[in-house]
Amino acid sequence: MKFHFLILGILLIVLSLNLRGQEVITSDKITEMNEQLNGLLERVATNESDLSKLTKIKISGYMQAQYQKFESPALLPTSNNYFALRRVRVKFTYEATDGVKFVLQPDFAPGALALKDAYVILNDRWTKAFSITMGKFNRPNYEVEYSSSQRELPERSSVIRAIYPGERAIGAKLEFNPQNTPIHMQLAVFNGSEDLKINNSAGSNLNSNENKDYDNFKDVMARVTYNLRLGNFGGLDFGAHGYFGKLKSMATTTYLSDYTTVKSANIGDGIARSWGGAEFQLFADVLGGLSVKGEYIAGKNASIGFTPSGTTLGVANFQNKFAGYYLYFIKNLGKKNQFALRYDYYDPNTDIKDKDIAISGYAATATLAKKMSGKSDLATSTLGLAFHHYFDDNLRITLAYDIVQNEKVGTSGKVVDNYTTAAGVAGTMDWSNAINQNVMTLRIQAKF
Amino acid sequence: MKSFNLVKLAIAAMVLGAISFAFAAAPQKITVKGSDTLVILAQKWAEEYMKTNSAVTIQVTGGGSGVGISALINGATDIANASRKMKPTEKEKLKARYNTLGVEVACAKDGITVYLNPANKVKELSIKQLGDIFKGTITNWKEVGGADQAIKLYGRENSSGTYVFFQENVVKGDYATSCQTLPGTAAVVNAVKKDPNGIGYGGAAYSEGIEICKVKIDDKSQAYKASAETIKNNQYPITRYLYMYLANRPTGEIKKYIDWILSAEGQKLVVEMGYFPVK
Repeated sequence: MKFHFLILGILLIVLSLNLRGQEVITSDKITEMNEQLNGLLERVATNESDLSKLTKIKISGYMQAQYQKFESPALLPTSNNYFALRRVRVKFTYEATDGVKFVLQPDFAPGALALKDAYVILNDRWTKAFSITMGKFNRPNYEVEYSSSQRELPERSSVIRAIYPGERAIGAKLEFNPQNTPIHMQLAVFNGSEDLKINNSAGSNLNSNENKDYDNFKDVMARVTYNLRLGNFGGLDFGAHGYFGKLKSMATTTYLSDYTTVKSANIGDGIARSWGGAEFQLFADVLGGLSVKGEYIAGKNASIGFTPSGTTLGVANFQNKFAGYYLYFIKNLGKKNQFALRYDYYDPNTDIKDKDIAISGYAATATLAKKMSGKSDLATSTLGLAFHHYFDDNLRITLAYDIVQNEKVGTSGKVVDNYTTAAGVAGTMDWSNAINQNVMTLRIQAKF
Repeated sequence: MKSFNLVKLAIAAMVLGAISFAFAAAPQKITVKGSDTLVILAQKWAEEYMKTNSAVTIQVTGGGSGVGISALINGATDIANASRKMKPTEKEKLKARYNTLGVEVACAKDGITVYLNPANKVKELSIKQLGDIFKGTITNWKEVGGADQAIKLYGRENSSGTYVFFQENVVKGDYATSCQTLPGTAAVVNAVKKDPNGIGYGGAAYSEGIEICKVKIDDKSQAYKASAETIKNNQYPITRYLYMYLANRPTGEIKKYIDWILSAEGQKLVVEMGYFPVK
């Protein structure tokens, strides 16, 4: 019996020791796991903090691959049809803190690697109505600021391409865009000579440094728009913009666009480039959405010449009155398709009419031979048609056709372009006739 | 321009007009995407509507207001649910894509509720205190009358309309980097339930089983809890409308569905699901 009690006692002791051991092990395990969990939580918090920094960076972009067929014979013998990458852009936006944004947008198109946008925006944190932008950015104009990835026709209108080459400029911009008020004001100051060629007597471009101004004159641009809501029908946005700039004269003579008025100038004088425009965009919720958009711009543009040196004939400055407009009609066809039609017109010289271009009378007072009226004074009108299919969220397929009409010179043979085709056939384009300059574009756009 | 055949252009325009009619046919499947705050109500609406309209399929998903609006702009949804107004940049994108200004339908009201753990001594906060807490200026509960414990912040992702509304109307600046972002209001509520020092925000419909913080405009004002009465009387200071956005004026089945949502029947479900009616 005693032996049985002894065995039972030993078993109880062993069991109790084992239980205590298990308790110690369980408690140790919990402490260890707790420490591991705390460690993990700490790592998660660090990762989240790092991740929140990364969420401040946004990367977007788009690519446009296209095939174009040009009907103009003058493009031969190089190529009048080819595949090309029109845009290969990646946009990096970093929102450093609330109201401070950096934007960087390079374009990787083959053979045309360029920095398109590089600017910083400071938004006012208090009224949230003002912002200041500094760097390289789009000039404040409707069609310029309207992204190529959204535009309904393959290229911008002729007048916009002529007066805002490259679309961007380097400078600073103040914007007033109050919340809950449909008014938007922009005031910008630029170098103003961006993408202009200003040659000297040796033929070198004096304005080749993209990152520096050609002269001390700064150009000012202002734009005001107002958004009017038209109840359930849609809305009307309208506004105006003005451009006030000067280019430094390198010649002692300035021709006006009538080719009869000759003004003397000093080297270093400012030759005015100034124009104004009025715009509207009507949006209507009719059968799936349609819009009509238009803008008219007119004023004085200028190009800079150079004084004669030695045997080199000089070139006078030239200040031309111009006018241009565009009118879009865009209709959505369901969710996936869109049709667009645009008529645009650009007359680079409104002082001289078609029949008078290149008539010797207009060159009679020209002491500098190159300043005769010519092809560059001819007006152009383009009727563009485009059909877009939105394949999915990221892909848009576009088929477009531009019908280009030129202003005709009055006298046959006065303004001609000679060319030779790939087959060695010589030809002449006589600008007293309509020249076929139509363009067909098939484009696929991928956006992310 | 004279040489263009205007008759041919007119015929082409008429053909395109006719095509546009064909494309504008109303769908039998309606897709709804967006606000997580609104998703449980939107699912309930869809469920109830399909019971009596079996020919119509309504697919509802969340993801956040920003996600819904992006889907609307990209043509991936018919209706975008949003717990905030559309931003001007989003309106511009909609204009560019559809040539319309979009249609905004206020479908319910909501009070953004501030969640606290029931163990927390703090029961009410002013808008300024909330702003300072979520900005990270106030970091300890003792600064607002609570225990000497560090405040743990829980919030939504930046695609959320609630995130944007709370930031614009309460935080009025950047959220503290220590604010843990969670995917959905339910996740915020769960996190605060488990964390005695936690504080979070979200829609009133998710506030079951958690302490609701009373909110006052400033130190001199009376504090209110979000309720049908305080929201209706505009006493609760963090109140907002919930919206449905469409690219075009609704027609066909979509119009019928929206009319039903705004009817007494649809608005009754708003109350049942813990939101507040628009009328």
